[in-house]
Amino acid sequence: MKQKIGVYICQCGSNISDYVDVDKVLDSVKDLEGVSLVKITMFSCSDSTQNEMVDDIKNEDLDGLVVASCSPKLHLPTFRNVAIRGGLNPYNYVQVNIREQGSWAHSDNPKKATEKAIQLVKAGIERTKYSNALEKTVIPSEKAVAVIGAGIAGMKAAIELADMGLSVYLIEKDFFVGGRITQWEDLCTVEELASDTVTRLYDEVKSKDNLTLFLGATAENMSGSVGNFKLTINIRPRYIKSDFNKDKIEELTGKCKTLTPNEFDFGLTKRKIVFKTYPGALPDIPVVDIKNAGDDINIINEFKDHLDLDRKDESITVDIGSVILATGSDPYTPKVGELGYKEIDNVVTFQEFKRIIELSPNGKLKYNGKDIKSVGYIYCVGSCQAEGNMYCSRFCCTCAISTSLSINKRFEKIRFYHVYKHIRTYGKQEVLYDQAGRQGDIFFKFDEDEEPVVSMVDGEGTITFNDLLTDGEEISVSPDLIVLVTGMVPRDDYKRVAEVFKAPIGRDKFFNEAHPKLRPVETVIDGIMIAGASQGPKSISESTKSALSAASKADALLHKGEIELEPTLAMIDTSLCEGSGLCIQACPFNAITMIDAGGKKLAQVEKSACKGCGWCLAVCPHDAIELAGYTNNEMEGMIESLITV
Amino acid sequence: MSNNQNDQKDPKILVFSTEKISDPAIDLAGLLKLHYPATAYTINVPCSSGIKPRWIMHAFEKGFDGVFIAADGTDCPYSIECTTKTGELVSKVHGMMKEKNITPARLKMAAICSVCAEPFVKHMKTFHSELSAMASN
Amino acid sequence: MEPTTTNIEKQTAAGVDVTTYDALVIGGGIGGEEAALNLANMGYSVIMVEKDYSIGGKMVHLSKVFPTLDCSACITTPKMSETIRHPNIEILTYSEVRGIEKDGKIFNTSIVKKPRYVIEADCTGCQLCEQACPVVVQDQYQYDLVGRKAAYIPFSVAAPRVAAIDIENCTLCGACERVCPPNCIDFTMKEEVIDVIVKSVIIASGFELFDAKKIPQYGFGKYKNVIHAMQMERQLVPTRPYNTVLRPKDGKMPDNIAYVLCTGSRDKTIGNPICSQVCCMYSIKQAQLIMGALPMADVTIYYMDIRAYGKGFHEFYIQTKNMGVEFVKGKIAKIDEKDDGDLVLHYEDIENGGAPKTATYDMVVLAVGVLPQNNIPELFKNEVLELDEFNYVKQTDKLVNPGMTTIDGVFVAGTSSGPMDIPDTILSAGSASAETASYLRRL
Ligand SMILES: Cc1cc2nc3c(=O)[nH]c(=O)nc-3n(C[C@H](O)[C@H](O)[C@H](O)COP(=O)(O)OP(=O)(O)OC[C@H]3O[C@@H](n4cnc5c(N)ncnc54)[C@H](O)[C@@H]3O)c2cc1C
Ligand code: SF4
Ligand code: SF4
Ligand code: SF4
Repeated sequence: MKQKIGVYICQCGSNISDYVDVDKVLDSVKDLEGVSLVKITMFSCSDSTQNEMVDDIKNEDLDGLVVASCSPKLHLPTFRNVAIRGGLNPYNYVQVNIREQGSWAHSDNPKKATEKAIQLVKAGIERTKYSNALEKTVIPSEKAVAVIGAGIAGMKAAIELADMGLSVYLIEKDFFVGGRITQWEDLCTVEELASDTVTRLYDEVKSKDNLTLFLGATAENMSGSVGNFKLTINIRPRYIKSDFNKDKIEELTGKCKTLTPNEFDFGLTKRKIVFKTYPGALPDIPVVDIKNAGDDINIINEFKDHLDLDRKDESITVDIGSVILATGSDPYTPKVGELGYKEIDNVVTFQEFKRIIELSPNGKLKYNGKDIKSVGYIYCVGSCQAEGNMYCSRFCCTCAISTSLSINKRFEKIRFYHVYKHIRTYGKQEVLYDQAGRQGDIFFKFDEDEEPVVSMVDGEGTITFNDLLTDGEEISVSPDLIVLVTGMVPRDDYKRVAEVFKAPIGRDKFFNEAHPKLRPVETVIDGIMIAGASQGPKSISESTKSALSAASKADALLHKGEIELEPTLAMIDTSLCEGSGLCIQACPFNAITMIDAGGKKLAQVEKSACKGCGWCLAVCPHDAIELAGYTNNEMEGMIESLITV
Repeated sequence: MSNNQNDQKDPKILVFSTEKISDPAIDLAGLLKLHYPATAYTINVPCSSGIKPRWIMHAFEKGFDGVFIAADGTDCPYSIECTTKTGELVSKVHGMMKEKNITPARLKMAAICSVCAEPFVKHMKTFHSELSAMASN
Repeated sequence: MEPTTTNIEKQTAAGVDVTTYDALVIGGGIGGEEAALNLANMGYSVIMVEKDYSIGGKMVHLSKVFPTLDCSACITTPKMSETIRHPNIEILTYSEVRGIEKDGKIFNTSIVKKPRYVIEADCTGCQLCEQACPVVVQDQYQYDLVGRKAAYIPFSVAAPRVAAIDIENCTLCGACERVCPPNCIDFTMKEEVIDVIVKSVIIASGFELFDAKKIPQYGFGKYKNVIHAMQMERQLVPTRPYNTVLRPKDGKMPDNIAYVLCTGSRDKTIGNPICSQVCCMYSIKQAQLIMGALPMADVTIYYMDIRAYGKGFHEFYIQTKNMGVEFVKGKIAKIDEKDDGDLVLHYEDIENGGAPKTATYDMVVLAVGVLPQNNIPELFKNEVLELDEFNYVKQTDKLVNPGMTTIDGVFVAGTSSGPMDIPDTILSAGSASAETASYLRRL
C-alpha cells in the first residue's frame, strides 16, 4: 500500500476553480491516511508545475501521485511521464477528472461540484494506495503499412512511406490509379493537368522496390492490433494476361460491340466491355468487364489465348503494423427532381460538367450536341443543408469559380451566372472570386433558408430565386446549361470499409479523427490513420498534406520495429482457478488457454494476445481473475471512498 | 452531512463508463455544460462487459442508491458482441440483487456512444428522479 | 541516411566543435512544434529556434478554439511540454537565426541568443523578481490590456517558464537581483552567437496580425472601445485579466458588441487582396464565448461572406446564428466615437438594397487579418528563397510536395505558406516533416 502520496489539485486557470472550491478540496484530503503532500496548482500541465512535481517526487520520496485536473484523455500520458521523470512507476499515478466531470458538468451548482470533487479526489487517492507498479510489454512490430485507395492521397502516402524505408501495400479497388482527380483533368486553382500529376506519382510508385500495388483489390478482413495486423485482401481478375499482346487486345477491343454506360463519365458516354476508363488511364492495360459482356462473350472466347479467363478472385493476407485509409469521397448525387436534376435536360452536376468540358471538342463547349454559351451555377447543392448534409463541402465554391475562369481560356466567351448561398473562396483563392467578377460573371445570392427553384419556363430550364444583393428581387435566368454545384459525400462503401478497419465515423459520415484540432490524421483506434477526403472534404493540396502527415505518424509508430503494449492484462490466480473454462469462452481474442499443471486444469493468459477488455473477469465463477490496474482492491476501494463522507 | 433531509432526496449514482466510448461522452456533457445531478460519480473501465458483478454489489452494500452502466454498445472496440455480453452481465446481477432484496430497477444499463452527451444527461436525470421516487415510497 | 540515434552529433570542422542536427525548425508555434515532434519521433535530431521568450506561438494565447471550443492553452501546453522535453529536440528561445549558408549537403547556420538577463537553467519561475520590480509597463502578451513588470515571467503557461528582464524599461534598480532565491539574475549577460550545422530547414515562423491603425477610418488606437480580435481573445481566456468582458474606456460591461470582419483582408487598398481564412470563424467563436460571459449582450457580426468551410464549421456557424448572434452582410465605411465612448458604425446594408445605414455599439471588435512574415528570405545568404505574389513562402510543387520551396532541403510549414487554421497548420507541418524525413534519407 502506498503511504506517501502526492496530491495536486489543479485550478486549470479558472476552469476548475471558478466552480470548485479548491481550498476546500485540499482541506478535505490533506489529512487522509497515505497522503503526504497536497498542493493547489494554476496549470498542472504547465512545464514548471510538471518540474515541481518531479522535484517533489524525488525530494519527498513520494510513492504515489494523484493529479485532480481535467479528463485523463488529455493528460494521462503527460502525468504518467511526470511520474517516470520523478522515478515513479507511471501506474502509481491516478488522474482524477474534476473538470469535465466536475466543475464544468456542475457549473450550475458550485457547492455540489465541490462536494463531488472531494469524493472523486478521495477515490483517486484510495485507488493510488492500492495501485501496483506495472511494466509495459514490448512486442516486435511489422515495418509495413497498408494504404487503402490509390488516389492522390493514397499514392503520395505510399511513396513517402516507401521512401522512409517501410514496406507498403497500396490497395486500390479500381483497376486504374489516380482516383477522382483523373475525372477532373483540368485542375482547379493550378495550371496542372491531373493526368500529368497522376503519371508523375504512378512512375514513382512503380519505381519503389518496397511498394506493392494491388489493383482491383479490396480489403476484406482485418485482425490483430497496432504493430501486428493481419489484413486479408481480395483481388479480382483483370482477365488480361500480364504479358499481353497489345495488338491482339486492340483487335479484340475493335471487335467488341456491347456498350455500357461509362461510370468514369458519370454515364455521359458509353464504353466497351474491354476498356480503359480514359485513354491515359494507368496502368496502360485494359480490363475485361466480363459481367456485362452480353453477346461479346463469343468474341472474348475467340481471344482466350490472350486472356486469363480462368482466373478467379484471389485472396491474400499481409502482415502490417499500421493502415492509412485514403478512400476519398463521392460527389453528391441529387435526387431525381432535386433542382430539376434528371427531369430537365440541361441540368447537370458540377462533376458531370467537368466531364462535359473534357469531352467537348476544341474551342466549343457542347452538351447533348448543343453549343453552350451561358452557364448558371447553383451553389451548395447537397451541402450546407438545414437537414441532411449540414456540412460545407469546402472546395466546391473555389473549384466552380476557378472553372469559370479556365473555361474562358479554352472556349469562346461563356457567360456565367453564379447563384449562391455562400461563396467560400478562403485564403489565396479569394483572388479568383475577384477575377471572376472582373471577367463579367454575374453573382446572385439567395437566402440560406430559401432555395432557388429550377423549372421549365417557355421551354427553357430556368432558375428562379430572390436575389438578396438587389433587395430580394425575384430573378429568373435561363442559361444554356444549369450546373448544380454539388459537394462531396463519403464513398458509397464507407460503412463496409469502416467495419473492416473498425474506423470511427463522424456525424457527417466521414471517417473521424482522434482530435479535430491536434490529431487530424489519427483515429482513436491505434495504428489506423485517415488521409485525404475520406476524413472530410479537401482540395488536392490539402489531401496531399494529410497523406504526408499520416505517413509521418505511421513511420513514427513503426520505424523502431517494436511497439509498447499497455500492461493492462488479465492475471489468473492459480490458487483460485478451478479450470471451469468459462473465461476461455468469454475472451474475444482467444487469449486464454487451458494448461495441465500436474493433473489440475488451469487457465493461462497469453500476454501478447490479451487486450485487457476484462470480459473474462466478469464471468469467472471463482473470482480467480483480476485485471491489472482494475483489481478488486482498487475498484472497491474507490467505490467505498466515493460514498463515504 | 449525508443524513440530512436534502440528501435523502438526492440519490447517489455510481456510473461505470468505458474509457474509449462512453467516458468521452460524459466528458462532452461537461464540456457543453449540460448539467446533470452532481451525485452521479463515474468510474471508468476498459469495457462494460468487463465489470465484475461483485463491484456492483459492493456499491449497493456501501450505500449507492443506483448503478448505471454506460455501455459500449455497438461501438465497442473489443467485440461486436459487447451489447449482448453487458446485457447478460446485467441480468446476472439483477438475480443477485433480488436475492439481497434490492430492487432490480436500481441497476440500469444503456449504450452511450462517444458523442452521446445529451442522451447521457437525460439518462442521469430520469434515473435520479426514479431513484428519488423509490426513496419516498 | 538512417536517422541518427543520438541527439546531438559533435563534428569537428576546421578545428572548432560544431554541433550537427538533422533539421533546423525556425519558429516554435503549433506548426513548428508539430513538425519538430514528428521528426523527433521518427528518430531525427532537431534544433528549434524561437524568437520569443516562450514557444507556443499564437495558439497558446487564444481563448478557446473553433469549432470544438476546447480551451486552447489546455490543448497546446501538452504539445509544448512534449517539445521541450523530447530528447531529440534542442530549443533555443529568445533567439534568432542570423544566417544560413548552404554548403553542399549541409547548411552552416549561425544563431544569435539574445540576453534575457536571467540564467535559464537556474530560474525556478517563483516570480519573486516580478513582485519586487517597481516598473510597470503594458503587457504585450495580453495585447496591452493590462500591465506587467520589467522583470517578469512572460505568461503563466510559458515554456520554458523562466523570468526575463525587459532591459529597455528596466531602471537597473537591482530590486529583483536582491530577492531572487537562486541568484539567477545576471545583468552582465551578453548576446551569444551559436554556430551549428543542419542538414535541412523547416520554416515555421508563422504569421503577423494586420495592424488595425492602417485603416484610420475605423479609429483603432484613437477610440478606446475599438479593439482588435486578439485583444478580445485575451479577455475571453480562462485566465482572463478582468474575469469578464469589459470595454476599455470606462470598464463598463458592454450591452452590445459589433464585429467588423475582413479588417485588413480582401482589401486591395491596403495591399492584401486575399482572405485570411480564420477571422470569420474566430469571430463566430468569440461571439459564442461572449454570449457565455455576458448573457445579456447582443452581438452583431458585419461580414462580406462567411467562410465556414472546414470540418464542423458550417454547423458551428448555424448554431451561433440560432443562439441569437446577428449576422449582417455589410461593408463598414467608417466608425465614429460619441462623447460617452459609444461607437457609431456607418455601413452599407448589402442585403437590403445597399442603402447606407448607421448603428451604435458599446464596443467594436476588428476581426484583423493575417499577414505574412516576410523577412525570412534574408536569412539565406547564398540561395534564394522565393516568396509568392502575396509574400508568403512560395510552394514550388503545391499539389504533390506541398512543403517544397525554391531551395532544396528547405521546407515550409504552417502559416508561413499562407493563412491557415490550426488543423490545417498541423497537416501542413506533418507534410513538411514527412518531406524532410524523405529528403534526409535521400541525402
Ligand atoms: C484572433 C485569432 C483567433 C484565432 N482563433 C483560432 C481558433 O479558434 N481555431 C483555429 O484553428 N485557429 C485560430 N486562429 C489561427 C491560429 O492562430 C493559427 O492557425 C496558428 O497559430 C498558426 O500556427 P503557426 O505555428 O503557423 O504560427 P504562429 O502561431 O504565428 O507561430 C510562429 C512562431 O514562430 C516564431 N517566429 C517568427 N519569426 C521567427 C524567426 N525569424 N525566428 C524564430 N522564430 C520566429 C513566432 O514567435 C511564433 O512563436 C486564430 C488566429 C487569430 C489571429
Ligand atoms: S482481459 Fe479480455 S483479452 Fe484479456 S484474457 Fe480476459 S477476456 Fe481475453
Ligand atoms: S533591476 Fe530592473 S528588473 Fe530588476 S527590479 Fe530593478 S527595474 Fe526591475
Ligand atoms: S475569413 Fe472571413 S473575415 Fe477573414 S478575410 Fe476571409 S471572409 Fe474576411
